Amino acid sequence: MAASLGFKGDLLAAIPGLRAFAMSLSQNADRADDLVQETLVKAWDKQSSFQPGTNLKAWLFTILRNEFYSQMRKRGREVQDSDGLLTARLAVHPSQPGRLDLDDFRKALEQLPEDQREAIILIGASGFSYEEAAEICGCAVGTIKSRVSRARNRLQEILDISGEADYGPDAIAAQVMGSTVS
Amino acid sequence: MTRQSSGASSAGPIRRRDGEPLGANSEIGRKLKQYYDELVSDDVPDRFAQLLSQLEEAEPAQQKD
Repeated sequence: MAASLGFKGDLLAAIPGLRAFAMSLSQNADRADDLVQETLVKAWDKQSSFQPGTNLKAWLFTILRNEFYSQMRKRGREVQDSDGLLTARLAVHPSQPGRLDLDDFRKALEQLPEDQREAIILIGASGFSYEEAAEICGCAVGTIKSRVSRARNRLQEILDISGEADYGPDAIAAQVMGSTVS
Repeated sequence: MTRQSSGASSAGPIRRRDGEPLGANSEIGRKLKQYYDELVSDDVPDRFAQLLSQLEEAEPAQQKD
């Protein structure tokens, strides 16, 4: 039975990360905790299908993500499709020029379509590799990469960050013209 | 905050490494971590530990093999 204690302990240890991911996805504390609860129940029921030695965190994140999308479908809400999305770009103006407030960032993150938000969170914050993120989201590695980069560009647009010139039109123009960027 | 103003020419090229589109030094990358770390460090309500104990009582972990 030591194994069961181990599994329970592993689940307990994973909860803070699961809650953070659930919050990032749902943007709502109550829904996030419901998602985590549902994930723990499912994980417990399915524990025999977990391969010890493989990435438990990725396995749990997959369950949570599936639960999130299945709840969204049940609620009859269209899953946002970032390609077809026509949202007005709401600029968030930093309260202090040159300083990016965490609240501004949060608001900007909320404006991202779910698929982009989850990709940038998994890669940029949860510490997963592109391969792991692709597995969690059930898509190709290239899809994750392009979602992350679209998310990043979008955040930069919303937050009006001009200091990071690596993606800016100037940098691209410079490359196209073959001039040396230095 | 002594962020270099946009002059890429004086700051040198910011290279985008392939595996790292959110380089640790990018503002977005930093904020993302800050946002997430705050969520991760949030206190976990007891109900989750209680839930796991209930699950364990109701259905002890299956012996594997």
